[in-house]
Amino acid sequence: MRNSIIGIIVFSVLAVCPLFVGSYWTGQLTNYLVYGLLAISLSLVWGYGGILCFGQAMFFGIGGYVMAVFTKGMIYPDLTSSYIGLIAAMAASSLFAVALGYFLFAGRGISGAYLAIITLAIALVLERLMSNWYALGGYNGLLNIPPIKLVLFGLSYELWDIVPTFYIILGLVAVIYFAVTFLVSTPYGLLLTAIRTHPDRLSFLGYSVLNIRLSVFALSAAIAGLAGALFVTLDGFASPTLIGFTLSTEALIWVAIGGKEMLLAAFLGAIFTRVAESWLSEIFGDYWILILGIAFMISVVLLPKGLLATPFEKLIGKKRRAIPPPPAEGDPSPARPLPPTPDQ
Amino acid sequence: MLEITGLTSGYGGARVLSDVECKIPDGKVTALMGRNGMGKTTFIKTIMGLLKTEAGSIRFDGAAIERLSTFEISRLGIGYVPQGREVFDQFTVLENLRLSLLGHSIKSQDGLDQIYEWFPILKERADQRAGTFSGGQQQILAIARALIANPRMLLLDEPTEGIQPSIVHEIGEKLAAIAKETGLTILVVEQNVDMVRTIASDALFMENGQIVDSCSISELERDDSLLRRYLSV
Repeated sequence: MRNSIIGIIVFSVLAVCPLFVGSYWTGQLTNYLVYGLLAISLSLVWGYGGILCFGQAMFFGIGGYVMAVFTKGMIYPDLTSSYIGLIAAMAASSLFAVALGYFLFAGRGISGAYLAIITLAIALVLERLMSNWYALGGYNGLLNIPPIKLVLFGLSYELWDIVPTFYIILGLVAVIYFAVTFLVSTPYGLLLTAIRTHPDRLSFLGYSVLNIRLSVFALSAAIAGLAGALFVTLDGFASPTLIGFTLSTEALIWVAIGGKEMLLAAFLGAIFTRVAESWLSEIFGDYWILILGIAFMISVVLLPKGLLATPFEKLIGKKRRAIPPPPAEGDPSPARPLPPTPDQ
Repeated sequence: MLEITGLTSGYGGARVLSDVECKIPDGKVTALMGRNGMGKTTFIKTIMGLLKTEAGSIRFDGAAIERLSTFEISRLGIGYVPQGREVFDQFTVLENLRLSLLGHSIKSQDGLDQIYEWFPILKERADQRAGTFSGGQQQILAIARALIANPRMLLLDEPTEGIQPSIVHEIGEKLAAIAKETGLTILVVEQNVDMVRTIASDALFMENGQIVDSCSISELERDDSLLRRYLSV
């Protein structure tokens, strides 16, 4: 599949980056990879699942805090394994998503703008909560979070150095990316498309719309939680900003600019936006936000599929072959193409 | 056998059905007739769990289904062809059919062959997007999508609405043949009298949210006073 070839090319290019850029940029790029993972999670739930989650950072933040309290030994002094921390972070985020999702989607369910507003509000509430939860550092957050400690066959290695950290993170992100890409190419992807466009039509085909929504919401939250858990080990620092409004909105912009319906475009949207931010904010100072805003508007108005996804689709030729309707004998009633449902 | 007693339902505060009583016998095609706005679609949607039952009971082969979710009712073996077809236009014919198979946890190839035998056009155009189909073809796809899950009972809501007469006749004959071949129980909401004559053996008449009369199709052939009473404007 050409889609996965482009994915392989992108990850290969990223893999050789440390050879050409200095250690500062390699370190920055490691952070951006983690943001890219957050973008993948948002693309899955929003672009594929049709759930506009305006508070995706809450799962990122939950993952980050859970990782922090585990690896700092705050739960149990001997239980500081990075592996357990990562698994716990993903589990906590997805459990939170299931609980939250149940309230959001049960019964008639909430969708569209209401869903966005509620998820945004919950992210704000969590940000407030973490700012005032003094056992978890309150406003200042948690410091001195240890880096990831790899333990394999009795050998252990702590990810202090920039380049090994980059490659471990890149490997993890690539695995998640290809796994999710595979998942959306299975019938599950078909289901997500169906639920995004006409959820009401799935129920009488024997599907529990609630369960499908919960599954994609929880999966996306687990990926966001993993991203958050990785993130706090890079800087050694978890603060309420990880969980709240700003990061949620930023993630939304990355994904919208890149292209929400294409995982790779969303992922690169995060990386490009971040790289552009570092460059442009040096040149233009705070006016850089203006440039980002304009790019966002261009993407929404002119290229709603995304600034990156549009050329990518051309490259892949993903556009489905539209077979012209053959004249049906004795049935001139025209095919009534339903207006495309705005996918929120 | 679908047994409905004291069924009341509607939209929010607006009550459409009140105290509906009827029995849909097994292995027969029953037509539900009546003028527009009498509650026929509401009735079908309430059976499917798409609208909430406010009072009364719906029993399908003895099991109470009025509190179940739509997907559970579907999995019990009630197929539904909604008004306006509601196929997934952006999916191909095959994807539409596969979606129904998956929803009922059926292995792919099992149902497909039978469906292609009944509706060869779907095999010819398996890779065509459903949105490019004509109304009649979409209706065939919607019926096939319901049949592929191998239901015990099929609910059809105005399958001939907005479809050209020759296709209407074709759909009617096909449905009648399938019902005869499989012994499938069908409840069809229909205003087209020719269609009813082609497929149904019994007719129910609905007026103002209640089943007010019933008769067999042969009685209807002899005396059309019921038709005039309940269908003419």
